[in-house]
Amino acid sequence: MSLCAWSNAIVKHMNNATIDPTPTDWNGVVMQKRIAKRYAAERRFKAMGFIAVALSTVFLAFLLFTMLGQGLRGFQRTEIAVEFDFPALTSGATAASITGPNADTTLNSMDIPGIVELAVSQQYGDQGSELLTSAAAANVRQKLADNPQLVTAKPTLWLPADSRLDVAYKRAGEPAAEKTVAALEQKDALRSGFNWTFLTGADATDPSAVGIWAAFKGSLMTMAITLLLAFPIGVFAALYLEEYAPKNKLTDMIEVSINNLAAVPSIIFGLLGLAVFLTMFGMPRSSALVGGLTLALMTMPVIVIAGRNAVKSVPPSIREAALGIGASPVQVVFHHVLPLALPGILTGTIIGMARALGETAPLLMIGMRAFIPSAPQGFTDAATALPVQIYLWSDEVNQGFVEKTSAAIIVLLIFLLGMNALAIYLRNRFETRW
Amino acid sequence: MTGTALLFLVLGLGLVAWIVGRARAATFVRAAKGGPRGQVNSLPSYHGWFVAVCAVVPAVLFMFIWQSVSPALVTNMVLSAPVAADLPQDGFSRAAILSEARAMAQGLQTTAFQAQSEKLAPLYKDALSYYSWIGMAGTLVLLFAGGAFAFTRLKPDFRARNKVERLVMLGLLFASLLAIITTLGIFASLIFESYQFFSMVSPFEFLFGTDWNPKSVVTPGADNGYGAIPLFWGTIFIGAIIAMLVAIPLGLMSAIFLTQYASSNVRKWMKPILEILAGVPTVVYGYFAALTVAPAIRDFAVMLGVSNAASDNALAAGIVMGVMIIPLVSSMSDDSIAAVPNAMRDGSLAMGATKSETIKQVLLPAALPGVVGGVLLAVSRAIGETMIVVMAAGYTANLTANPFDTITTVTVQIVALLTGDQDFGSPHTLAAFALGLALFVTTFFLNYVALRVVKRYREAYE
Repeated sequence: MSLCAWSNAIVKHMNNATIDPTPTDWNGVVMQKRIAKRYAAERRFKAMGFIAVALSTVFLAFLLFTMLGQGLRGFQRTEIAVEFDFPALTSGATAASITGPNADTTLNSMDIPGIVELAVSQQYGDQGSELLTSAAAANVRQKLADNPQLVTAKPTLWLPADSRLDVAYKRAGEPAAEKTVAALEQKDALRSGFNWTFLTGADATDPSAVGIWAAFKGSLMTMAITLLLAFPIGVFAALYLEEYAPKNKLTDMIEVSINNLAAVPSIIFGLLGLAVFLTMFGMPRSSALVGGLTLALMTMPVIVIAGRNAVKSVPPSIREAALGIGASPVQVVFHHVLPLALPGILTGTIIGMARALGETAPLLMIGMRAFIPSAPQGFTDAATALPVQIYLWSDEVNQGFVEKTSAAIIVLLIFLLGMNALAIYLRNRFETRW
Repeated sequence: MTGTALLFLVLGLGLVAWIVGRARAATFVRAAKGGPRGQVNSLPSYHGWFVAVCAVVPAVLFMFIWQSVSPALVTNMVLSAPVAADLPQDGFSRAAILSEARAMAQGLQTTAFQAQSEKLAPLYKDALSYYSWIGMAGTLVLLFAGGAFAFTRLKPDFRARNKVERLVMLGLLFASLLAIITTLGIFASLIFESYQFFSMVSPFEFLFGTDWNPKSVVTPGADNGYGAIPLFWGTIFIGAIIAMLVAIPLGLMSAIFLTQYASSNVRKWMKPILEILAGVPTVVYGYFAALTVAPAIRDFAVMLGVSNAASDNALAAGIVMGVMIIPLVSSMSDDSIAAVPNAMRDGSLAMGATKSETIKQVLLPAALPGVVGGVLLAVSRAIGETMIVVMAAGYTANLTANPFDTITTVTVQIVALLTGDQDFGSPHTLAAFALGLALFVTTFFLNYVALRVVKRYREAYE
């Protein structure tokens, strides 16, 4: 059709133009100038294309470097040396008393927070207790439980510093904190250590005591529910639509719904989860179960679309051969087509799961934004997810949370990039060209 | 016994049913050995599957139905007890007492804040265990009845494979129908809540009002601050104007460069990089926009002499959103340029046109429908995007075209309305659903048109 329009235009043009009989002087100044101009336009266009690609790359690099630059500090913590004269502080507890089955009760009765406060204020003056983070006592307790012999000795323990000092030691902080840091540095009482709490702990009000394990576990549990629901349903729907669906109105409606659901804003799924799962069915608010259900509805269309493409690429000869030796239509699909399409389906599933893992908005809608100070134990416990935790920390005023937010982002990105790399590897490794 | 444990028990018994059915069919096979072939219709494992499905499916269905019905039954039983007669009549405090009593009965809470819930807790405990026993018994009875029924039907000439395959087909059909059910569920829940909202606030005020300052108590007929025009404008300004000004040129030019100019080596490296850009979660973009881009833009604006530049300006959110959309625009343009027949390109090049002239005057006009479809999809994606605007754009409704000013969007307000401590039936919550409906209808329309355009265009060249 467009070719037809073209030829019409050309004919019209030929009729209207007055034809100049002199041949074009290609080497003349005018023509050479014109060609130079056209080549310059060509170069400009190519450069624009290059700049477009380069800008996207630079933006990505800038984003990653910013996150790395801030986030790596989040994996470190500042520690202060505190000398503990345990025989004096604990009035003569023995190593035997804090080993064995009664260790917990003895340790609980020892008033470790009081001991820590006393030890620090003896060493650093009255303001001493403000130097350490609130989790320091738990730290000392753990050290005693691990090594009961300490209780009869006078060990120097390195304990995590308060968030203000932490910020001041790593970069510029408040003037008062800077002064304290300078004084402590003179005494050689400060050092940097790896922040294990960040990987094993949960949310807290004090940025030097926060960890991502609770949020991470919440994410894992949510993803488990999502995978358990979205994968079988998505694969079944893809098989039905590609292999068995008759061409009728119902099939058309299913296709329109799936294509549309794949492009519906994620926040709408959150509204659905709120209205249906929470209000109508009364499921537990902010639980991994509801989060998983909501994300499963969102991920299912992605898996269906990827699955259909994978099933479509299995050549018909396989089906015909299986049918020819007497397999039933269901056997053809489950014994032959599905195994051959599985790598493609898995690739699509991993990409869909990666998207679900980074999703925040629907989880906010169903209340997974609560303060969760310990890891969820079951699927109906109140939980939060890693991206939601990032959002919550990004809202905090306290300076110490900036690096923790970036550190959590690094962890999230590592997982997402890992999943995507796995998907690419699977695609390259198992892709069959028929 | 908890629901999860019961589910595992049912699945375990299903496995037993499978083994029993299979063993039974194996005896048929053994008996038929030596006799004429074809006496046993189906393979033993199909008999096993038949018994297992007959046992498990009704039991699991009953379990789920019971799970959703029993809370209401429990509450009813508690309320019919004499102790519950002196509960306050007012719905809110009543619900608070009941939920506290339930939490205590389940052992989630040990001390009561309200005296009455302490009295109700043992009642709740009894009712809960009563109904959970009924549920468990019902599940197990159904399981054994289904299994026994299926087992008695096993005969050498029983067509177990056909039965199982019909069930499999039903399962496949149901899985596909879930997509329709989800769409209808979204539509129904949005319509239902929006209907309640519009019975409080007039649709006219919502759609054409210019004042967004939602009050939690609404008076009919008065201005309640639910005029959504500033939100619609903010959404369009950030998502469809600023973001597209970034995404369309960059995305389109990237696609042109990578498909027409770049060597295959460059393409091999650059395409995954663009894909990474698409894989970064939006919460990360939002954090980056709020922490790095927005302050930089504000400083830039102050340098230009815009004194009222906000730190949560529209420009930062729009630019970062545009970058997020680049891969989408790029891959859609890539596909549609690749779909243009090579003959058209070769013809143009043969006439002496340079590469860029061919692209601008032949390829792009021919690929335009596909590119437009891609842009429509990108707009739909941008206006539904939530986290970037929640973190980087503001919460103040502002009817302005100044990109350095703060501006709010539909999605930001949905989050803001739903994350306060609101009762579910309050106008705030319902307004969020009305905004959600507007968003859903718009994106549905955009997606539908975009997919139609792209499909038409593909067919035109096939």
